[in-house]
Amino acid sequence: MIMSEKCKQHVDSCRFCWMCHHICPIGNATGQERNTARARALGISLVNRGAIELAEIMDNIYECCTCGACVRDCITGWDPVMFTKEARLQAALEGVTPDYINALIDNCLETGNAYGKTATCDTLTAAIKAHADKKDTLLLLGVDAKFMACKQAVKAIKVLDKAAVEFTVLDNEPASGAQLDFLIGAADETKQQMTACAKVLGEYKKVVVYDPTDAKAIKQLYKEYGIEVDAEVVTYTSFVAGLLKDGKLEPTNSGESVVFQDPYQLSRDLEETEEAREIVMSYAVLGEMLLNRAETVWAGNILMAQYIPDIVKKVAERRIFNATSIGADTIVTACVGEYVSLNAVEQDKVKIISIEDLILGE
Amino acid sequence: MQYQMNEFLFAMILTELEDAVGKENCSTRAIDKVTHSVDYYWLSRMWADRGCRMPEADIVVCPENAQEVSKVLKIANYYKLPVTTWGAGGGTQGGAIPVAGGIILDTKRMNKIYEVNTEGMYIECGTGAIYKHIEYAANEVGKATMHYPSSLTCSTVGGFLAHRGIGVVSTKYGKIDDMVLKMEVVLPNGDIIETSAAPKHAAGPDLNQIFIGSEGTLGVITKAQIRIFDQPEERRFRGFLFQDMHGAFQASRELLQKFKPSVMRLYDEAETASLIKKIVGVERKGAFMNIAYEGVKEMVEVEEKILLETFAKYGAEDLGSEYGEKWWKEKITFFYPGHMMDIPQMFGTMDTIAPYGKIEEIYWAMKEAIETNFPQAKFIAHFSHWYEWGSMIYDRFIVEGKDVPEDPVEALRLHQAIWTCGVRAALAHGGVVNDHHGVGIKLGRLMKEQYGPAMQVFEGLKKSLDPNGIMNPFKLGL
Repeated sequence: MIMSEKCKQHVDSCRFCWMCHHICPIGNATGQERNTARARALGISLVNRGAIELAEIMDNIYECCTCGACVRDCITGWDPVMFTKEARLQAALEGVTPDYINALIDNCLETGNAYGKTATCDTLTAAIKAHADKKDTLLLLGVDAKFMACKQAVKAIKVLDKAAVEFTVLDNEPASGAQLDFLIGAADETKQQMTACAKVLGEYKKVVVYDPTDAKAIKQLYKEYGIEVDAEVVTYTSFVAGLLKDGKLEPTNSGESVVFQDPYQLSRDLEETEEAREIVMSYAVLGEMLLNRAETVWAGNILMAQYIPDIVKKVAERRIFNATSIGADTIVTACVGEYVSLNAVEQDKVKIISIEDLILGE
Repeated sequence: MQYQMNEFLFAMILTELEDAVGKENCSTRAIDKVTHSVDYYWLSRMWADRGCRMPEADIVVCPENAQEVSKVLKIANYYKLPVTTWGAGGGTQGGAIPVAGGIILDTKRMNKIYEVNTEGMYIECGTGAIYKHIEYAANEVGKATMHYPSSLTCSTVGGFLAHRGIGVVSTKYGKIDDMVLKMEVVLPNGDIIETSAAPKHAAGPDLNQIFIGSEGTLGVITKAQIRIFDQPEERRFRGFLFQDMHGAFQASRELLQKFKPSVMRLYDEAETASLIKKIVGVERKGAFMNIAYEGVKEMVEVEEKILLETFAKYGAEDLGSEYGEKWWKEKITFFYPGHMMDIPQMFGTMDTIAPYGKIEEIYWAMKEAIETNFPQAKFIAHFSHWYEWGSMIYDRFIVEGKDVPEDPVEALRLHQAIWTCGVRAALAHGGVVNDHHGVGIKLGRLMKEQYGPAMQVFEGLKKSLDPNGIMNPFKLGL
């Protein structure tokens, strides 16, 4: 397998190291030894040494959610996410990507989203239409909210409306490239999608990014790939926290006890942990789950649920257990993928709401 | 009855195992077999590094509880298939490697925390739980497990029990075998048993201690009650520099007649000049020793006074608290790639234990044996677990990559030879095969040398409990 020297070095360091064994949300949920950074590294290292075929390890490579818990946990700075993504790219180049992943990639290339969706719900269509006029600020909803959780997208719009923000929402919103990046890493197709998105975003002064996955891509990955965005890009949570500070939202604290599920894209990748907490504490009483802020545990997403739904469900169940074990009644989410995943678990111990739900009192 | 495995029979057995644990928890995929073939044992790592496949299981099964383990063992017994129990694979002795193929029984789905009991001060959990997760559960109620080995995050409760593990605060709180109240064990025939309701009794021999350290050769430990402790009001550190090891032993022995510190770690000159210099920053000639003492604040004050007086008597230079605190903060850093020995180096940790009258002699004997017979090997050591009666040596040999044969079989031969030489030197001077890493396949051949006729007790247990010899064959010398 062709792999960069940097990646090989990380693979060979991780293949015999067990130190992050406890931290993988997938491994903890499945109990499977293969769902560890060292197992993925071992597999890749054996491919590099001709002892196993790349195709034989690809299912496992796609079981990694790339949340970076292992990267953060590593004292010496080895990066399993990096070599996982490079293995995905290499599999695509060698034509050994699993069929179920190829189907998602094809959808991304054809429709801009892995789900192959082209239409959203009527309510969201109307809400987008109401914000069709060009303003200085663009609200980027992202493919998860737009096509898989349109009610949440509508609420995201409502919150900004409530604060009398003037903003645009695009009917033909560009894909950020985050999904392609997850599926095939730094491929030409990924960079092309990102470049096209950056061009559209550059037509606005400010871009408010609703989905943390897109925010991570635009604020972090674009830079890594040398793609410039000629606009101020802010996360939805930091933008809303600013509205609160500026007095544009008038919160009433319900006194309800809640915990906040940090999206790793915000807390680990963008180092944003307090903005969402400022919002939550304005409307409720905040408690903290085990492993919060930069140590957060990924609670699922919609993309991986397309091909390993049972595992994503187990991941969400474990995070719900973290909340219930400290007696929490409500989990507040700031990532639509985690909102959907946590709500997909059949349980009645804890309520799952979004930041928008909290603000709108819904 | 001996028989030849064939495709048809294999498929039949697989369906039975799938029926026992669920299809999704039963795998013949290459990635699962490969992953379960390489543990932390240097030889398995070297083998994989050379692009060779280690012996693999034919089937990987992941039961959820004792009932499912029981079903698996009944099937395995019927077909006389080897069963190797796998926790998280962090063992250094090759104990979890399925050298005879058959079934790998991965315990990590048995990771439930059933009860956190702050009155009886224990957590009851499945033995597949990663120990760090047990620590999290204890911390959530303001308690602690006080079992902090470097492998805290990468080993299961069952793994520590199977190999008699130990943590850095063991001098005060004990080894893993001191931390268990009760266990559930599935015997090789599938029977599920519980050890006694309390760990101290006069109702015959201690069932816990029969299975602790048995490395999966006598059954599968599936559930355990693990002790938890109050968090100490205060934990203080003090670093010392001894000019000779003998003074350090004398001082430590005397100290332990007065009170039990939590951490006691003495590094020989070679390790002080290498690892301690690199990680903790001590750039002095001599033997560095770190002591931590903890508990109720008033008692800690008294213990500090005793410590300083005792160590001063033996000429220890007081380095203050800074190095000790740094050591505590970095205690796991030592074990990350980039800090820890790693391939292409060849290395091994030959820990042994003995009473004070013998431990220094063993240290020098092992050092001489290794350095004389294998001049390409460097010998470093520290002494990290202490008792009123003795101490253990955590001694390592390191052979740099240029001196390590590229041929895997030649590398294996050299590794085996160094180990045999070192452990025989320990045995000859009153040590034991191992202190807290276990035996596995690495040291099984030396068990008979240590125990002599006493080995028949273990062999009798094995024959009685596992007449078909299916449980973790070729481990522990059984």
